[in-house]
Amino acid sequence: MGSLREAIRKALTAGEVAGVVGLILEEGHPRPHLFTKEAIDELERLVVGDVRYPLAGVLLKIHRSDPEARLGIVARGCDERAVLELDRNEQLNGEGVVIFGIACTQEQANACQCAQPYPSSHLFGERAAPVSDSERFDRLESLSKEERFQYWMDQFGKCIKCYGCRNICPMCFCPDCVLEDNDLIKTGNIPPEVPIFHLVRAFHMAERCVDCGLCEEACPAGIPLRTLYKKMRNVVTTQFGFTPGITKEGKGPLQYLGDGEFGKQEGH
Amino acid sequence: MTNSVEELEDAACIMIIGSNTTASHPIVAMHIFRAKEKGAKIIVIDPRKTHIASYADLYLAEKSGTDVAIINGLLHIIIKEGWYDKQFVEERTEGFVELKTLLEEYPPARVAEITGVPEAQLRQAAEMFAKTKQSSIVYCMGITQHTVGVDNVLSLANLSMATGHIGKWASGVNPLRGQNNVQGSTDMAAIPNVLPGYQSLADDAVVSKFEAAWGVTLPRKPGLTLMEIMGAIGTGGIKALYVMGENPAVSDPDIQHVKKALEALELLIVQDIFPTETVALAHVVLPAVSFAERDGTFVTTDRRVQRIRKAIEPIGDTRPGWQIICDVAHAMGAGGFDFASPSEIFAEIASLVPLYAGISYERIAENGIQWPCPTKDAPSTVFLHKDRFSKGLGTFKPVAYKAPAELPDEEYPFILITGRDGFHFHTGSMTRRSKSLTAQINRCYVQIHPLDAKKLKIKAGQMIRLRSRRGAIEVEARITPIVQSGSVFVPFHFAETAANVLTNPALDPVVKIPEYKICAVKLEKAT
Repeated sequence: MGSLREAIRKALTAGEVAGVVGLILEEGHPRPHLFTKEAIDELERLVVGDVRYPLAGVLLKIHRSDPEARLGIVARGCDERAVLELDRNEQLNGEGVVIFGIACTQEQANACQCAQPYPSSHLFGERAAPVSDSERFDRLESLSKEERFQYWMDQFGKCIKCYGCRNICPMCFCPDCVLEDNDLIKTGNIPPEVPIFHLVRAFHMAERCVDCGLCEEACPAGIPLRTLYKKMRNVVTTQFGFTPGITKEGKGPLQYLGDGEFGKQEGH
Repeated sequence: MTNSVEELEDAACIMIIGSNTTASHPIVAMHIFRAKEKGAKIIVIDPRKTHIASYADLYLAEKSGTDVAIINGLLHIIIKEGWYDKQFVEERTEGFVELKTLLEEYPPARVAEITGVPEAQLRQAAEMFAKTKQSSIVYCMGITQHTVGVDNVLSLANLSMATGHIGKWASGVNPLRGQNNVQGSTDMAAIPNVLPGYQSLADDAVVSKFEAAWGVTLPRKPGLTLMEIMGAIGTGGIKALYVMGENPAVSDPDIQHVKKALEALELLIVQDIFPTETVALAHVVLPAVSFAERDGTFVTTDRRVQRIRKAIEPIGDTRPGWQIICDVAHAMGAGGFDFASPSEIFAEIASLVPLYAGISYERIAENGIQWPCPTKDAPSTVFLHKDRFSKGLGTFKPVAYKAPAELPDEEYPFILITGRDGFHFHTGSMTRRSKSLTAQINRCYVQIHPLDAKKLKIKAGQMIRLRSRRGAIEVEARITPIVQSGSVFVPFHFAETAANVLTNPALDPVVKIPEYKICAVKLEKAT
């Protein structure tokens, strides 16, 4: 913890970054916070624990309110992947974001079934072994098409249209969300139209989802969203040779469409 | 709740009765879905096929207001078949013989006729609930908002005691409270016949304790309930009313009458965070703060006393409710009320309320504590009634089925059910100010069964005039098999076409809760 804190302190006092997004302990609970030079003592309350927040999403909000400021982020593997994809989608200037990496414990990696439970470099923790298999994913893949279809219809039918999956997603950056478009998805119904609501979101996640799993943690209906988006990742990987969050180079499949502006600002 | 919300995940059978859980308590529904994922059987009993009913292993489509008959019917089968918990009944309860005698009158054939639920389904439900090791009951306003609200609750208590499904992990009787702090309000005696902590106004020792602490002489006669207050305005002697965070001009039954009563007051003071329909009638408005602008505690539906902390400073001239109340008290010349912070008020609560005696701001700094917590080192009480009931033995209270106060007749041939739409909360004083929620739905509707729609030649989207003996509203028709033929449903969030123009102010004789869930209406095409 000491080296992480020191690295942030150094970067802030040297003016290398204007602020660092991380978690602060308040009244016994961690919450997202922007650490700054002006309140450097707050670094004593910087925490790294089991709790996760969509810190890349918080970073994006701060960046939008002050695009010139160079920012840092205390990033797990999933946070770093999100920063990378936000950059590819031209939402952030990724070169300008300083990563203060933290590696997740093996326990966390197992709980998250995370294939990359660490960022490219880290100042805290030990690299845990990647966990590549998802029990639920494999179980669903082994079902017949009809059984799988029924499974997902049942799962989507539990939805209470709270938008929690979208609201917590660090990759949901569109200013206008198609999930709120009355022409595409009728308003006022619970569950929202099955399966279009969930499939529209799944398609939007195809080249964006960094497999952080926060959507599934947030879902009050217990819909296994991450399993759905894992499937999308797999399809995009096999069909287009592109996996979100892995390399800095290259474009996502949808970025080849049109004049290159597609997906930059508007919802697509 | 006798259990904690998260215990429901471990229940092996959950009976949901009179609760539209996914719409009204989505987080509770999440735990129920988790239980189902782990193999729990879900029984839903409701006159409407609610969202969660479509996930039930067994859905009993009862006729409105026949809960006592259904529960008695289930108990009849359970006892006849010997599926009840003999040891529990023997060791922990009294009055079983009286219950058994009454249950003789509820054979499946008769119950099927009253409730509309086929005998085979009654048997299935009885077996599923009684024979599963850890069964739990979840209920909500579909049980309580009836002229037989108390009888309904007593029936559920009878069922849980007879089957021994109470006082255990994941097994108990679980009413879901509505507002985030309605449990806290009840704990603090926002009921006219008790002092804080459910301490009886009839108990001399209790009253002396409070009199000594507050330096006053307390009136010994219980006050009036909400509906009695409305009735006592004018002729009954009520001249002034101080309303806090409540919107009776929309939320009470028969609101045209309520509005007249509120207008007849010599003084109406309303303390709220938004200009509600009740605020519009007020002589004095006291602007209070929202949850985000204040410190204090909220008590959850599972008795958990939790800290809330101010996130932003109060906006404009608003002030926390406790400060407003203390200042009003001072202005009226009352002694006491000299608190510097909510923590001082909490310390007073702990000193006077045994259920809270062991709870302090220090102890709940990080995590809440579930009452009863009688001493400073007592742990959270995760579930109630372990090993013994607070009064000792649990008493069976046999209750006979009684029909609702106003049933359909030739002139008013439909049953009206009122309740929640998933996108709004109560009178909409908060949710109808939310852009994202009003984008989903911002006008009232009536659910009509396809058969009734066909018979009356009503099309989806058409404007329908609903009329009861008390008034009429015009709303849009939604045609759906969620409601039974012969019943219609209207959500109660929309002041401009308020469902409570229609509802019947008939009250439960004991607790005076109105029968919001059943009244008779007719449908006319609006021109």
